[in-house]
Amino acid sequence: MRRPDEVLDGAAQALSARLAAGLTRRSFLGRMGGAILAVTGGATVAAALKPEEAEAFHFCGHIWTTGSCPSPLGIPRIDSHGYPLRAQDGRPIDNLGRLVDAEGYPVDEAGQRLLGPDGDPLERAPRTRLCEDWVPERFEIEARTQGAWYRCCNGQIRKLVDCCSPSRRRINGDASLVGYCWKGRRVFCVMYYDSGLPC
Amino acid sequence: MVETFTPAVCGGRVRKHLAAAGFTLGAVGAAALVGGLLGLAGFLAGWRWAVVAAAALALAGALRELGLLRLPLPQVRRQVPDRWRAELPLPVWSVGYGAGLGVGFFTFQPVATFWVACAAAVALARPLPAAGCFALYGVGRALTVLWPKRDAARACERLASRRPALLRANAIALVVCAGLLAASPAVAAQRIPVGTGFDPSVSGTALARAQVVSGAPRVVVEPAGEPPVALDGVKQPSLDGELVALKDPDGIRVSNWRTGEVVAQVPGTVSRPALDWPLLAFVRADGLWKQLVLRDLAAGTERVAATLVRTNDIGRPSLADGRLAWHLVTRSETRIVVLNLASWKRRIVARSRIAVLIHPALSADRVLWIDQRSRMGFVRMRTLSSRRARTETLWTANGRDRLFWTTALAGRTAYVTRWSPATGDSTLLRLDL
Repeated sequence: MRRPDEVLDGAAQALSARLAAGLTRRSFLGRMGGAILAVTGGATVAAALKPEEAEAFHFCGHIWTTGSCPSPLGIPRIDSHGYPLRAQDGRPIDNLGRLVDAEGYPVDEAGQRLLGPDGDPLERAPRTRLCEDWVPERFEIEARTQGAWYRCCNGQIRKLVDCCSPSRRRINGDASLVGYCWKGRRVFCVMYYDSGLPC
Repeated sequence: MVETFTPAVCGGRVRKHLAAAGFTLGAVGAAALVGGLLGLAGFLAGWRWAVVAAAALALAGALRELGLLRLPLPQVRRQVPDRWRAELPLPVWSVGYGAGLGVGFFTFQPVATFWVACAAAVALARPLPAAGCFALYGVGRALTVLWPKRDAARACERLASRRPALLRANAIALVVCAGLLAASPAVAAQRIPVGTGFDPSVSGTALARAQVVSGAPRVVVEPAGEPPVALDGVKQPSLDGELVALKDPDGIRVSNWRTGEVVAQVPGTVSRPALDWPLLAFVRADGLWKQLVLRDLAAGTERVAATLVRTNDIGRPSLADGRLAWHLVTRSETRIVVLNLASWKRRIVARSRIAVLIHPALSADRVLWIDQRSRMGFVRMRTLSSRRARTETLWTANGRDRLFWTTALAGRTAYVTRWSPATGDSTLLRLDL
């Protein structure tokens, strides 16, 4: 007899397959990510997906139960390379959650350099990837970004990304699921990337 | 053993007094030595939670005396060697008996108080006061011999017959001890505001801090018990006795803060001095690069401790007791580095790809630094004497309204800056470790 999570996982996989109009779980889009999506897949996927308000577990599009990856401001929005962004507007932030300019210096909302107590501009802080850097340091496991699935959120295509690790425990503390991970890895936590493509 | 200290056994009243005196000397001396060693161990280990552990042990001991907790006590159920009295001279065996009982470990322990006292001595972390307190234990041992004027053995038996009442009284005493220990300021690592400012530097009993007053920088040196000395137009103080290194518009100058006499100058694009005369560490910006330079102001020589690209941050170094510490912040990680000046070997004492590790401060055997994260900040410390030493967290602060900034460390006193990113206001706080 299958375990409840296996039943749920199987149902989710079937739903994803139907919605993605025949693409398999380890799909071409899942591996090639944003580049293919931007170049050729946007229209195809947009046509296959029905605009829907996906039920969210803790952010739009995330209908499973695995928790968010650790992030500076608590919501794991990332850019196409896995670096943190501010959730409400997608502006880049550093590891302290401060807005940063193109060179990584902390700035205010207007883009002016932030000053320290001595009146001098503040130096840069690290800005590192949520899955490949934050997860290994905080949880002492190896992790890498692998599979993904797509949802229409707020009128644009959101890519929900699995941060996968060999760990059999996920960030929630309980048993991890295979999700869209491969080569023996399981989903440790999830993040998302907003493509900006309309749906 | 107490029957030994009688005129009949010792061979006369005078010899009895001599034996009692020897016993007292041995008991008090040995007890004081044990206390001193325990206090020294606590000082070297620097366990912040030793006070809490001592309080918990006192509580456990009280429960044990009341029969509510089964707690075996480590002890050696032995008598003093009777043959010493026959084989050794009176001064030797009497002192030996006293020392054997004064140490406490080699005899029967009827109550848990001795072990609670040991834990408290470690928590006190000060050898001399701990020795003084433990000496009282030795005095107590000596009183069993000195006080009963006639039949000491019978007096001890009468005391033993009152054991239930003694245990209850001891339990009450231990509960009181537990309460006093738990309420001790040491548990909270007391944080005392010492006014506005940032970039603290401490030498002896003098504290220097930087301030910005009406947009202009200044440094204030505050010697204990004397009026403060204000130095206008300068910043980034580093104090060493009566000398202070400062960043001024022309570079770095080292001067006597009392007299104003300038003893050394380093012109150019240099900043962030750290002074341990005659050594001066500073950061030199050189086009695309930054260098952390160590200069011997007396010999006129210098050596580069670190070089990095201009866009990375090397922070405010700390120089003390043959070591140089600094932070390194890049876009992918941060580190706290300590360089041994004698061997020129560097050790990374902390690194992170998430946190911002900054503003280290050195003392003779410890390094302290800030671990700042997006929603929390920590003041961390570890000893340098052992590579296996654990990192302690002295202070955890939640929120993003006030962040930790620069630090200073001397002995068992640390200074930490807290500042508000919204207003730029900063406050210095003293931590008594």
